[in-house]
Amino acid sequence: MSEKRISMVEKSNNKRQRVNQVPKFSINDHHDVLVEILRRLDGPSLCSAACVCRLWSAVARNDSIWEELCFRQVSPRPSLSLRSVVSALGGYRCLYFFCIRPVLARLPKLRWTRDQLQLSLSLYCVHYYERLYVGAWLGDAPPAPPSSLMFLRKPVNVV
Amino acid sequence: MKRGHGETWDPPPASRSGEGPSMADKKKVADDNNNNNMDDELLAVLGYKVRSSEMAEVAQKLEQLEMVLSNDDVGSTVLNDTVHYNPSDLSTWVESMLSELNNPASSDLDPTRSCVDRSEYDLRAIPGLSAFPKVEEVFDEEASSKRIRLGSWCESAGESTRSVVVVDSQETGVRLVHALVACAEAIQQENLNLADALVKRVGTLAASQAGAMGKVATYFAQALARRIYRDYTAETDVTVGSSLEEVLQMHFYDSCPYLKFAHFTANQAILEAVATARRVHVIDLGLNQGMQWPALMQALALRPGGPPSFRLTGIGPPQKENSDSLQQLGWKLAQFAQNMGVEFEFKGLAAESLSDLEPEMFETRPDSETLVVNSVFELHRLLARSGSIEKLLNTVKAVKPSIITVVEQEANHNGIVFLDRFNEALHYYSSLFDSLEDSYSLPSQDRVMSEVYLGRQILNVVAAEGSDRVERHETVAQWRIRMKSAGFDPVHLGSSAFKQASMLLSLYATGDGYRVEENDGCLMIGWQTRPLITTSAWKLAGGGESRR
Repeated sequence: MSEKRISMVEKSNNKRQRVNQVPKFSINDHHDVLVEILRRLDGPSLCSAACVCRLWSAVARNDSIWEELCFRQVSPRPSLSLRSVVSALGGYRCLYFFCIRPVLARLPKLRWTRDQLQLSLSLYCVHYYERLYVGAWLGDAPPAPPSSLMFLRKPVNVV
Repeated sequence: MKRGHGETWDPPPASRSGEGPSMADKKKVADDNNNNNMDDELLAVLGYKVRSSEMAEVAQKLEQLEMVLSNDDVGSTVLNDTVHYNPSDLSTWVESMLSELNNPASSDLDPTRSCVDRSEYDLRAIPGLSAFPKVEEVFDEEASSKRIRLGSWCESAGESTRSVVVVDSQETGVRLVHALVACAEAIQQENLNLADALVKRVGTLAASQAGAMGKVATYFAQALARRIYRDYTAETDVTVGSSLEEVLQMHFYDSCPYLKFAHFTANQAILEAVATARRVHVIDLGLNQGMQWPALMQALALRPGGPPSFRLTGIGPPQKENSDSLQQLGWKLAQFAQNMGVEFEFKGLAAESLSDLEPEMFETRPDSETLVVNSVFELHRLLARSGSIEKLLNTVKAVKPSIITVVEQEANHNGIVFLDRFNEALHYYSSLFDSLEDSYSLPSQDRVMSEVYLGRQILNVVAAEGSDRVERHETVAQWRIRMKSAGFDPVHLGSSAFKQASMLLSLYATGDGYRVEENDGCLMIGWQTRPLITTSAWKLAGGGESRR
């Protein structure tokens, strides 16, 4: 959609008349602004936002949004080298879904320090390694999903 | 005193419906049972023959019977069949009742409730009752040495055996344990016939017991049977056995936190030891699937100052022909390291026993690298042959590592006396199975495979002997002595390791059951009150070299 819309309005006498409309601002035209807004959301809201439409779902896959969500409470902020490590392991979005969200659900009052961060990353590592390298070796075809993090899931929950 | 006529009796309560017809039968017993002049006169009038000398004994047994039958559980099972005994000879009747109730076959209900009226109160007045005299043991045909405990109403502590009836269904678990221990005792005393009978009984009891107790008992019963028949053969094909072992250990890794705890705490100790090193060389005495190392590589990658170069030497069992699983594992780890941005080098060593290793095989570069030796559940196997553990520890000393991380089971399964080993193992694996049982959110395959993994250990502890018995677990106190005498000093695991371990355990749904303890620098993970796995760290004694 273009900024300025010139809409045609039908008049009763079947003559069309040009009317200058106030330019509508659509957030969908500004993905960077959308990203900035989504970065400030909390987990459930962000997940709801990702279900709004295909465009928003695609925008919500931007990993920086999830990075913000993961480490909002961590202080001091982890170093930038963490970004390359986490992207290699599958990205912040997966980290959030597999590790951070279940941990927060299990321990809502958790204070995020270095040790807790280190543990979450270790678990994420194990999950990644098991998914890529061990599943096929165990002889399952197709490989069963790695179950090293199953203990984080509630019995009825489907992440 | 009431005369016994079936019609004058009140209708029995519904739960004792079997009583009605049998009562009628009894009441028709003739009155003239005065053959024996020693019989109690009052009871004789009612039609019961009881010798005066036996009165106290019979009274006590009757009281026991009454308590048993008033419990609903037993009452309902007893009602299934009615077998009519002649109750006029009270003492033998009561004995047969008690012995019948020990096997859940049923018999007549308590006839004394309704019929012995005033006389019953007379019996109670006999002072002998309050002293709980000894009663002879009720003999079960198979379990002649089985001890059975008194029901809950007895408070005095008896010295010797008492005849009891088990009233509580929860106590079938206790019966199971007693039967297992009795069987082990029989084996200890070389009474193999008795042991054979007992182990069959354990099998049937275990099959009817649901839950962790039943599973543990089944594994122990199988192991005991193998021991009785001397049917333990170590797996001749080492490669098949070891690959199965790796699969099972993977499931064990996924299903419970013990191995994760071990890996994460060992990794934390290693991280602290190599904090300033530029090149790190880790020797893993039991590589398995290398699950420990991705997390370490990731932590090294995030180290402030950048990652060191990481070299891994993994030791595994001898390889089958045309397969080089160690090398493939090395490739996987190398790919992972590349993703992490960590410089990586791998070498695989195949050795049938760790004592075959020589220092030269590791090709260490003492001038440039910091060496770490890691062992998870590997050291105890060497205790099977004398001299092996000393040789390995000498080899380890020769390569001069900065830190040695050791993870071992916290149990004494290496005693000389079989019975002690058996009891220890029973408690240890019961705790382990208990912890598995509670994790209901697991995929069932993981849990089953973990139980098989533990079952193999049970089989080895119980049935194997000599150099076949490799699961020779020892407690951390014993390992401390051993390591100190070999020339190693303990390194205290830091608080970071403790915090990570605590958080890991709190993530488990059954987090209340798991416990982390710190024991003089070592970290132990346990279930409820029982420590199960210990992580410890060691360094060379006496003025270590400066770390590079």
